[in-house]
Amino acid sequence: MAAVPQHEVVMEPSPYAMDKKKFGMWVFIISDACTFGAFLFAYGYMRVGAPVWGTPFGMSSIVNGMVMTAVLLSSSLTMLAAVRAAQTSTKAKTTKWLGITMLLGAIFAALHLREWIKLIGEGWRLFQNPTGGAAQFGACFFSVTGLHLTHVVSGVIALAFVARGLNQGRYDESHVETVGLYWHFVDLVWMFVFPLMYLMNAH
Amino acid sequence: MSTNHELAMSSYVGIGVGLMAIVCIEVVLTFQHLPARTLLFSLLCLAGLEGFVAIMYLMQVKYEKPILFWTVFPATLFVLVFLCYLWPDAFRMFNMRLMQ
Repeated sequence: MAAVPQHEVVMEPSPYAMDKKKFGMWVFIISDACTFGAFLFAYGYMRVGAPVWGTPFGMSSIVNGMVMTAVLLSSSLTMLAAVRAAQTSTKAKTTKWLGITMLLGAIFAALHLREWIKLIGEGWRLFQNPTGGAAQFGACFFSVTGLHLTHVVSGVIALAFVARGLNQGRYDESHVETVGLYWHFVDLVWMFVFPLMYLMNAH
Repeated sequence: MSTNHELAMSSYVGIGVGLMAIVCIEVVLTFQHLPARTLLFSLLCLAGLEGFVAIMYLMQVKYEKPILFWTVFPATLFVLVFLCYLWPDAFRMFNMRLMQ
């Protein structure tokens, strides 16, 4: 009886030549970019359509926003250091950089919440404008910045999971690289949110 | 997979400083009291420049295969532009209710 031929499983290599986790993260980033795009376009049309719009941000808020930007940019650099450490160095060093990134993310979230508390203290609500202008300002501002803040907090939690998994030997450098890609995206979104939501509404 | 070693860490710090400098330019422009449309256009251009640098260097697309860039970004930009094109119709819907 003739032997049954053994077939090898032939897998075509990915044309992107990248890890599937990372490719999955790219797909998520594309869809998330469209979500933020939709929010920002909706805000843009409402802002243009309203005859009187709220401009609640003075110099102190803008300086606060610049500090937040600097913190988030620094966290992107520490994330790059974490990815590099994961590829070339020890777990301890990678965990250290991931820890610093988480700390910077937490500082960003705290500064963001401080700005929110200040605005709420001044009477701004989701559908309430204390200056008498368009009531939609609060809805736009709290929605867009809240969505971004949710991403930052989610990113900090994801970084903590990856750091823990890395130390337990369950995760490797590809996980660090994938979560790093997400973190840079959060930074990228802020580069559009800050000028559009803060600077366009400065008095 | 990206090689991630094309630039030294000091170069990335330089990129971070450059991005922060662009943010400072945005703030300076804001307090020049430009007309809203001019300010919006300027801020969007600068934010776009920041975004491009962040995608290429921080997200390391520069070191991936070019096919990633050419399949992901034109399609995403098309969707975003199309969103912008379609949004005004959302306002038109208010005038499309059936009269009682």
